[in-house]
Amino acid sequence: MLAVLAVSLFSVAYPIYVIRPFRHQGAGELAAALVVSRFRADITALVAIAALVACVSYWRLQPGKWWRALATAGAIFAAIFAVLARVNVYELMFHPDARPSFSAARDSHLDGDEKVIAIRVAGEARAYPIRDISYHHVINDVVGGQAVVATY
Amino acid sequence: MWNRTISGQRLTFHLAGINNQNFLMRDEETGTYWQQISGAAISGPLKGSQLTLVLSDELTFAAWKSEAPSGTVLDDVPQFANGYAHKDWDVRMKRAPTVLDFPEHSLTSRDLMLGVQAFGASRAFLYERVLQEKLVKDRMGPEPVLLVVGPDNESIRVFRGRIRGVEGAPDFYRVTEPSAEALFMDAATGSGWNFQGCAVSGKSKGACLEQLPALKDYWFDWRNYNPSTTVYGREP
Repeated sequence: MLAVLAVSLFSVAYPIYVIRPFRHQGAGELAAALVVSRFRADITALVAIAALVACVSYWRLQPGKWWRALATAGAIFAAIFAVLARVNVYELMFHPDARPSFSAARDSHLDGDEKVIAIRVAGEARAYPIRDISYHHVINDVVGGQAVVATY
Repeated sequence: MWNRTISGQRLTFHLAGINNQNFLMRDEETGTYWQQISGAAISGPLKGSQLTLVLSDELTFAAWKSEAPSGTVLDDVPQFANGYAHKDWDVRMKRAPTVLDFPEHSLTSRDLMLGVQAFGASRAFLYERVLQEKLVKDRMGPEPVLLVVGPDNESIRVFRGRIRGVEGAPDFYRVTEPSAEALFMDAATGSGWNFQGCAVSGKSKGACLEQLPALKDYWFDWRNYNPSTTVYGREP
Protein backbone atom coordinates (compact mmCIF):
# COMPACT_ATOMS: atom_id res chain seq x y z
CA MET A 1 0.00 0.00 0.00
CA LEU A 2 2.77 2.45 0.96
CA ALA A 3 4.74 1.69 -2.17
CA VAL A 4 1.85 2.36 -4.53
CA LEU A 5 0.94 5.52 -2.62
CA ALA A 6 4.51 6.72 -3.06
CA VAL A 7 4.24 6.11 -6.80
CA SER A 8 1.01 8.06 -6.88
CA LEU A 9 2.44 10.96 -4.88
CA PHE A 10 5.52 11.06 -7.11
CA SER A 11 3.34 11.14 -10.22
CA VAL A 12 1.50 14.17 -8.95
CA ALA A 13 4.33 16.05 -7.30
CA TYR A 14 7.30 15.54 -9.61
CA PRO A 15 5.96 17.42 -12.65
CA ILE A 16 4.77 20.27 -10.42
CA TYR A 17 8.20 20.44 -8.77
CA VAL A 18 10.11 20.50 -12.06
CA ILE A 19 7.78 22.62 -14.18
CA ARG A 20 7.30 25.70 -12.09
CA PRO A 21 7.91 29.38 -12.82
CA PHE A 22 11.22 31.07 -12.02
CA ARG A 23 13.03 27.74 -11.91
CA HIS A 24 15.53 26.57 -14.49
CA GLN A 25 14.39 23.40 -16.27
CA GLY A 26 17.13 21.10 -17.54
CA ALA A 27 16.38 19.21 -20.75
CA GLY A 28 16.53 15.78 -19.16
CA GLU A 29 14.39 16.52 -16.14
CA LEU A 30 11.84 18.34 -18.27
CA ALA A 31 11.54 15.36 -20.60
CA ALA A 32 11.07 13.04 -17.61
CA ALA A 33 8.53 15.33 -15.96
CA LEU A 34 6.49 15.54 -19.16
CA VAL A 35 6.42 11.76 -19.52
CA VAL A 36 5.24 11.39 -15.93
CA SER A 37 2.67 14.11 -16.52
CA ARG A 38 1.32 12.39 -19.61
CA PHE A 39 0.70 9.13 -17.80
CA ARG A 40 -0.07 10.23 -14.26
CA ALA A 41 -3.85 10.24 -14.72
CA ASP A 42 -3.74 6.56 -15.64
CA ILE A 43 -1.11 5.69 -13.05
CA THR A 44 -2.95 7.33 -10.19
CA ALA A 45 -6.26 5.80 -11.29
CA LEU A 46 -4.72 2.32 -11.20
CA VAL A 47 -3.18 3.06 -7.81
CA ALA A 48 -6.54 4.24 -6.50
CA ILE A 49 -8.17 1.00 -7.64
CA ALA A 50 -5.35 -1.04 -6.13
CA ALA A 51 -5.59 0.89 -2.88
CA LEU A 52 -9.33 0.31 -2.72
CA VAL A 53 -8.86 -3.43 -3.29
CA ALA A 54 -6.14 -3.47 -0.65
CA CYS A 55 -8.38 -1.57 1.74
CA VAL A 56 -11.20 -4.05 1.30
CA SER A 57 -8.74 -6.91 1.87
CA TYR A 58 -7.43 -5.31 5.04
CA TRP A 59 -10.95 -4.89 6.38
CA ARG A 60 -11.58 -8.60 5.83
CA LEU A 61 -8.27 -9.89 7.13
CA GLN A 62 -7.35 -7.39 9.83
CA PRO A 63 -9.91 -6.96 12.59
CA GLY A 64 -7.76 -4.37 14.39
CA LYS A 65 -9.21 -0.85 14.10
CA TRP A 66 -5.85 0.84 13.53
CA TRP A 67 -5.03 -1.36 10.56
CA ARG A 68 -8.44 -0.69 9.14
CA ALA A 69 -8.03 3.06 9.70
CA LEU A 70 -4.65 3.07 8.01
CA ALA A 71 -5.97 1.09 5.08
CA THR A 72 -8.91 3.46 4.74
CA ALA A 73 -6.63 6.50 4.92
CA GLY A 74 -4.44 4.98 2.23
CA ALA A 75 -7.39 4.47 -0.06
CA ILE A 76 -8.58 8.03 0.54
CA PHE A 77 -5.15 9.49 -0.23
CA ALA A 78 -4.93 7.40 -3.36
CA ALA A 79 -8.28 8.77 -4.49
CA ILE A 80 -7.17 12.32 -3.72
CA PHE A 81 -3.99 11.86 -5.77
CA ALA A 82 -6.06 10.47 -8.63
CA VAL A 83 -8.19 13.62 -8.61
CA LEU A 84 -5.19 15.94 -8.26
CA ALA A 85 -3.52 14.24 -11.23
CA ARG A 86 -6.33 15.56 -13.40
CA VAL A 87 -6.06 19.14 -12.18
CA ASN A 88 -4.25 21.55 -14.45
CA VAL A 89 -2.62 23.83 -11.88
CA TYR A 90 -1.47 26.24 -14.59
CA GLU A 91 -5.04 26.87 -15.64
CA LEU A 92 -5.92 27.49 -12.01
CA MET A 93 -3.32 30.28 -12.01
CA PHE A 94 -4.28 31.61 -15.46
CA HIS A 95 -7.85 30.73 -16.25
CA PRO A 96 -8.53 29.83 -19.86
CA ASP A 97 -10.88 31.75 -22.10
CA ALA A 98 -12.64 28.62 -23.26
CA ARG A 99 -15.36 30.35 -25.28
CA PRO A 100 -13.81 33.55 -26.62
CA SER A 101 -16.17 36.19 -27.86
CA PHE A 102 -15.41 39.13 -30.10
CA SER A 103 -16.73 42.61 -30.73
CA ALA A 104 -16.51 44.88 -33.73
CA ALA A 105 -13.51 47.19 -33.66
CA ARG A 106 -15.76 50.24 -33.76
CA ASP A 107 -17.55 49.05 -30.60
CA SER A 108 -14.40 48.34 -28.61
CA HIS A 109 -13.53 50.52 -25.63
CA LEU A 110 -9.83 49.79 -25.83
CA ASP A 111 -7.57 52.82 -25.62
CA GLY A 112 -5.72 53.59 -28.81
CA ASP A 113 -2.34 52.90 -27.24
CA GLU A 114 -3.27 49.43 -25.98
CA LYS A 115 -1.17 46.80 -27.71
CA VAL A 116 -2.77 44.02 -29.71
CA ILE A 117 -1.61 40.96 -31.61
CA ALA A 118 -3.30 41.18 -34.99
CA ILE A 119 -3.81 38.72 -37.82
CA ARG A 120 -5.63 38.71 -41.12
CA VAL A 121 -6.67 35.41 -42.67
CA ALA A 122 -8.70 35.16 -45.86
CA GLY A 123 -9.69 38.79 -45.50
CA GLU A 124 -10.89 38.48 -41.91
CA ALA A 125 -9.05 40.73 -39.43
CA ARG A 126 -8.81 39.84 -35.76
CA ALA A 127 -7.04 41.47 -32.83
CA TYR A 128 -6.17 40.02 -29.42
CA PRO A 129 -5.39 42.64 -26.77
CA ILE A 130 -2.12 41.80 -25.07
CA ARG A 131 -3.58 42.62 -21.68
CA ASP A 132 -5.98 39.70 -22.21
CA ILE A 133 -3.78 37.11 -23.82
CA SER A 134 -0.88 37.75 -21.48
CA TYR A 135 -3.24 36.42 -18.80
CA HIS A 136 -5.05 33.61 -20.63
CA HIS A 137 -1.91 32.75 -22.64
CA VAL A 138 -3.83 30.53 -25.09
CA ILE A 139 -6.84 31.43 -27.24
CA ASN A 140 -8.18 28.75 -29.58
CA ASP A 141 -9.92 30.52 -32.43
CA VAL A 142 -11.06 30.24 -36.04
CA VAL A 143 -10.28 33.18 -38.31
CA GLY A 144 -11.11 33.28 -42.00
CA GLY A 145 -11.98 29.60 -41.81
CA GLN A 146 -8.57 28.69 -40.43
CA ALA A 147 -8.16 27.21 -36.96
CA VAL A 148 -5.51 29.22 -35.14
CA VAL A 149 -4.16 29.47 -31.62
CA ALA A 150 -3.13 32.88 -30.32
CA THR A 151 -0.41 32.54 -27.72
CA TYR A 152 1.46 34.99 -25.57
CA MET B 1 0.30 32.69 -33.57
CA TRP B 2 0.01 29.17 -34.89
CA ASN B 3 -2.15 27.24 -37.29
CA ARG B 4 -3.63 24.56 -35.02
CA THR B 5 -4.49 22.09 -37.73
CA ILE B 6 -1.76 19.55 -38.30
CA SER B 7 -1.94 16.63 -40.73
CA GLY B 8 -5.65 17.32 -41.11
CA GLN B 9 -6.32 17.17 -37.36
CA ARG B 10 -7.57 20.26 -35.55
CA LEU B 11 -6.00 20.59 -32.11
CA THR B 12 -7.31 22.40 -29.03
CA PHE B 13 -4.59 23.80 -26.81
CA HIS B 14 -4.31 24.46 -23.10
CA LEU B 15 -1.69 26.16 -20.98
CA ALA B 16 0.28 23.28 -19.53
CA GLY B 17 3.47 24.45 -17.90
CA ILE B 18 6.60 26.43 -18.38
CA ASN B 19 10.07 25.72 -19.73
CA ASN B 20 12.68 28.30 -18.74
CA GLN B 21 10.05 31.03 -18.74
CA ASN B 22 8.54 30.16 -22.08
CA PHE B 23 5.28 28.37 -21.66
CA LEU B 24 4.23 24.91 -22.70
CA MET B 25 0.93 23.97 -24.30
CA ARG B 26 -0.84 20.64 -24.41
CA ASP B 27 -3.45 19.61 -26.93
CA GLU B 28 -6.62 17.83 -25.83
CA GLU B 29 -6.75 15.49 -28.78
CA THR B 30 -3.40 13.69 -28.38
CA GLY B 31 -1.98 14.90 -25.05
CA THR B 32 1.17 16.14 -26.79
CA TYR B 33 3.20 18.94 -25.21
CA TRP B 34 4.25 21.87 -27.41
CA GLN B 35 6.71 24.73 -26.86
CA GLN B 36 4.94 28.07 -27.26
CA ILE B 37 7.75 30.06 -28.86
CA SER B 38 8.80 27.48 -31.42
CA GLY B 39 5.55 25.62 -32.10
CA ALA B 40 7.48 22.36 -31.78
CA ALA B 41 6.00 19.23 -30.20
CA ILE B 42 8.47 18.15 -27.51
CA SER B 43 6.74 15.24 -25.77
CA GLY B 44 3.91 12.90 -26.62
CA PRO B 45 2.42 11.15 -29.64
CA LEU B 46 3.16 14.05 -32.00
CA LYS B 47 6.70 14.68 -30.78
CA GLY B 48 8.81 16.07 -33.60
CA SER B 49 5.85 17.74 -35.31
CA GLN B 50 5.89 21.45 -36.03
CA LEU B 51 3.00 23.89 -36.05
CA THR B 52 2.84 26.33 -38.95
CA LEU B 53 3.34 29.97 -38.10
CA VAL B 54 0.56 32.42 -38.93
CA LEU B 55 1.85 35.89 -39.79
CA SER B 56 0.88 38.36 -37.09
CA ASP B 57 1.70 41.89 -36.00
CA GLU B 58 2.04 43.52 -32.62
CA LEU B 59 0.42 46.93 -33.13
CA THR B 60 -1.26 49.62 -31.14
CA PHE B 61 -5.03 49.24 -31.23
CA ALA B 62 -5.31 52.60 -33.00
CA ALA B 63 -2.91 51.53 -35.75
CA TRP B 64 -4.70 48.22 -36.22
CA LYS B 65 -8.15 49.80 -36.24
CA SER B 66 -7.11 52.31 -38.90
CA GLU B 67 -6.06 49.41 -41.13
CA ALA B 68 -8.92 47.05 -40.26
CA PRO B 69 -11.97 49.15 -39.32
CA SER B 70 -14.28 46.18 -39.86
CA GLY B 71 -12.13 43.77 -37.85
CA THR B 72 -13.11 42.15 -34.56
CA VAL B 73 -11.45 42.27 -31.16
CA LEU B 74 -11.30 39.68 -28.40
CA ASP B 75 -13.57 40.60 -25.52
CA ASP B 76 -12.44 40.72 -21.90
CA VAL B 77 -13.74 37.96 -19.65
CA PRO B 78 -15.16 40.12 -16.85
CA GLN B 79 -14.60 37.61 -14.03
CA PHE B 80 -10.85 37.55 -14.78
CA ALA B 81 -10.37 41.18 -15.80
CA ASN B 82 -8.78 42.04 -12.44
CA GLY B 83 -5.92 39.74 -13.40
CA TYR B 84 -5.31 41.35 -16.76
CA ALA B 85 -2.08 43.20 -17.42
CA HIS B 86 -1.76 46.91 -16.90
CA LYS B 87 -0.53 49.03 -19.77
CA ASP B 88 2.90 49.25 -18.18
CA TRP B 89 3.19 45.48 -17.72
CA ASP B 90 6.39 45.37 -19.79
CA VAL B 91 8.01 47.90 -17.48
CA ARG B 92 7.05 45.77 -14.49
CA MET B 93 8.22 42.57 -16.20
CA LYS B 94 11.60 44.13 -16.82
CA ARG B 95 12.23 43.84 -13.08
CA ALA B 96 11.29 40.14 -12.92
CA PRO B 97 14.19 37.69 -12.52
CA THR B 98 15.19 35.29 -15.26
CA VAL B 99 16.49 31.75 -14.95
CA LEU B 100 18.70 32.02 -18.01
CA ASP B 101 21.29 34.65 -18.85
CA PHE B 102 23.24 35.27 -22.00
CA PRO B 103 25.49 38.27 -21.28
CA GLU B 104 26.52 38.74 -24.89
CA HIS B 105 26.59 41.79 -27.13
CA SER B 106 26.32 43.99 -24.04
CA LEU B 107 22.68 42.98 -23.74
CA THR B 108 20.81 42.25 -20.52
CA SER B 109 18.38 39.39 -20.14
CA ARG B 110 15.27 41.57 -20.35
CA ASP B 111 16.36 43.85 -23.17
CA LEU B 112 13.39 43.92 -25.54
CA MET B 113 14.29 42.70 -29.01
CA LEU B 114 12.58 42.16 -32.32
CA GLY B 115 13.66 38.75 -33.55
CA VAL B 116 13.52 37.66 -37.17
CA GLN B 117 14.22 34.24 -38.67
CA ALA B 118 14.45 34.40 -42.43
CA PHE B 119 16.56 33.31 -45.38
CA GLY B 120 18.59 30.90 -43.30
CA ALA B 121 19.56 33.49 -40.72
CA SER B 122 18.46 34.51 -37.26
CA ARG B 123 18.81 38.15 -36.20
CA ALA B 124 17.71 40.28 -33.30
CA PHE B 125 17.14 44.02 -33.30
CA LEU B 126 17.03 46.10 -30.14
CA TYR B 127 13.45 47.35 -30.15
CA GLU B 128 14.22 50.82 -28.88
CA ARG B 129 16.92 51.30 -31.47
CA VAL B 130 14.55 50.45 -34.30
CA LEU B 131 11.98 52.91 -32.93
CA GLN B 132 14.65 55.61 -32.89
CA GLU B 133 15.91 54.88 -36.40
CA LYS B 134 12.39 54.65 -37.87
CA LEU B 135 13.68 52.74 -40.93
CA VAL B 136 16.35 50.06 -40.57
CA LYS B 137 17.98 48.64 -43.68
CA ASP B 138 19.79 45.37 -43.06
CA ARG B 139 20.57 42.01 -44.57
CA MET B 140 19.65 38.50 -43.51
CA GLY B 141 21.49 35.81 -45.38
CA PRO B 142 21.54 36.90 -49.02
CA GLU B 143 18.44 39.08 -48.75
CA PRO B 144 17.90 42.76 -47.90
CA VAL B 145 15.37 43.42 -45.15
CA LEU B 146 13.62 46.56 -43.96
CA LEU B 147 12.29 47.29 -40.50
CA VAL B 148 9.68 50.01 -40.66
CA VAL B 149 8.24 51.92 -37.71
CA GLY B 150 4.57 52.77 -38.07
CA PRO B 151 2.89 56.17 -37.89
CA ASP B 152 2.16 55.52 -34.20
CA ASN B 153 5.92 55.39 -33.51
CA GLU B 154 5.42 52.16 -31.57
CA SER B 155 4.61 49.41 -34.06
CA ILE B 156 7.21 47.78 -36.28
CA ARG B 157 6.91 45.60 -39.37
CA VAL B 158 9.63 43.73 -41.23
CA PHE B 159 9.75 43.37 -45.01
CA ARG B 160 11.95 41.78 -47.59
CA GLY B 161 13.60 44.67 -49.39
CA ARG B 162 12.93 43.55 -52.95
CA ILE B 163 10.43 44.96 -55.43
CA ARG B 164 8.97 42.63 -58.02
CA GLY B 165 10.27 43.49 -61.45
CA VAL B 166 13.21 45.47 -60.10
CA GLU B 167 16.67 43.99 -60.44
CA GLY B 168 18.78 43.83 -57.29
CA ALA B 169 18.05 45.40 -53.93
CA PRO B 170 16.69 48.94 -54.28
CA ASP B 171 17.56 51.59 -51.75
CA PHE B 172 14.78 52.70 -49.43
CA TYR B 173 14.67 55.86 -47.38
CA ARG B 174 12.35 57.45 -44.90
CA VAL B 175 10.43 60.45 -46.24
CA THR B 176 11.14 63.69 -44.45
CA GLU B 177 7.52 64.32 -43.61
CA PRO B 178 5.81 60.97 -43.54
CA SER B 179 2.11 60.99 -44.16
CA ALA B 180 -0.44 58.41 -43.18
CA GLU B 181 -0.09 57.07 -46.70
CA ALA B 182 3.63 57.06 -47.46
CA LEU B 183 6.23 56.47 -44.77
CA PHE B 184 9.19 55.65 -47.00
CA MET B 185 10.23 55.65 -50.63
CA ASP B 186 12.47 53.64 -52.87
CA ALA B 187 15.13 55.06 -55.18
CA ALA B 188 14.56 52.55 -57.98
CA THR B 189 10.94 53.32 -58.87
CA GLY B 190 10.34 56.54 -56.92
CA SER B 191 7.35 54.96 -55.21
CA GLY B 192 5.92 55.88 -51.83
CA TRP B 193 5.25 52.95 -49.49
CA ASN B 194 2.90 52.72 -46.53
CA PHE B 195 3.17 50.84 -43.24
CA GLN B 196 1.57 47.79 -44.82
CA GLY B 197 4.50 47.66 -47.21
CA CYS B 198 2.37 48.58 -50.21
CA ALA B 199 3.21 51.25 -52.76
CA VAL B 200 0.64 54.05 -52.74
CA SER B 201 2.30 56.19 -55.39
CA GLY B 202 4.88 55.97 -58.14
CA LYS B 203 5.73 53.27 -60.67
CA SER B 204 5.19 50.46 -58.18
CA LYS B 205 1.79 51.65 -57.05
CA GLY B 206 -0.33 48.69 -56.00
CA ALA B 207 2.60 46.36 -55.40
CA CYS B 208 3.42 45.15 -51.92
CA LEU B 209 6.64 44.07 -50.29
CA GLU B 210 6.81 40.62 -48.73
CA GLN B 211 6.19 40.91 -45.00
CA LEU B 212 8.37 38.72 -42.78
CA PRO B 213 7.35 37.24 -39.42
CA ALA B 214 8.95 38.95 -36.45
CA LEU B 215 8.78 38.26 -32.74
CA LYS B 216 8.98 40.83 -29.98
CA ASP B 217 10.75 39.01 -27.19
CA TYR B 218 13.19 39.40 -24.34
CA TRP B 219 16.83 38.83 -25.24
CA PHE B 220 17.26 35.79 -22.98
CA ASP B 221 14.29 33.98 -24.50
CA TRP B 222 15.15 34.82 -28.11
CA ARG B 223 18.76 33.82 -27.60
CA ASN B 224 17.78 30.55 -25.86
CA TYR B 225 15.84 29.38 -28.92
CA ASN B 226 18.12 31.02 -31.48
CA PRO B 227 21.63 30.19 -30.31
CA SER B 228 23.23 31.30 -33.57
CA THR B 229 21.45 34.65 -33.66
CA THR B 230 23.32 37.80 -34.58
CA VAL B 231 22.40 41.22 -33.27
CA TYR B 232 21.97 44.32 -35.41
CA GLY B 233 24.50 46.96 -34.55
CA ARG B 234 26.44 44.65 -32.25
CA GLU B 235 28.68 42.98 -34.78
CA PRO B 236 31.96 41.66 -33.27
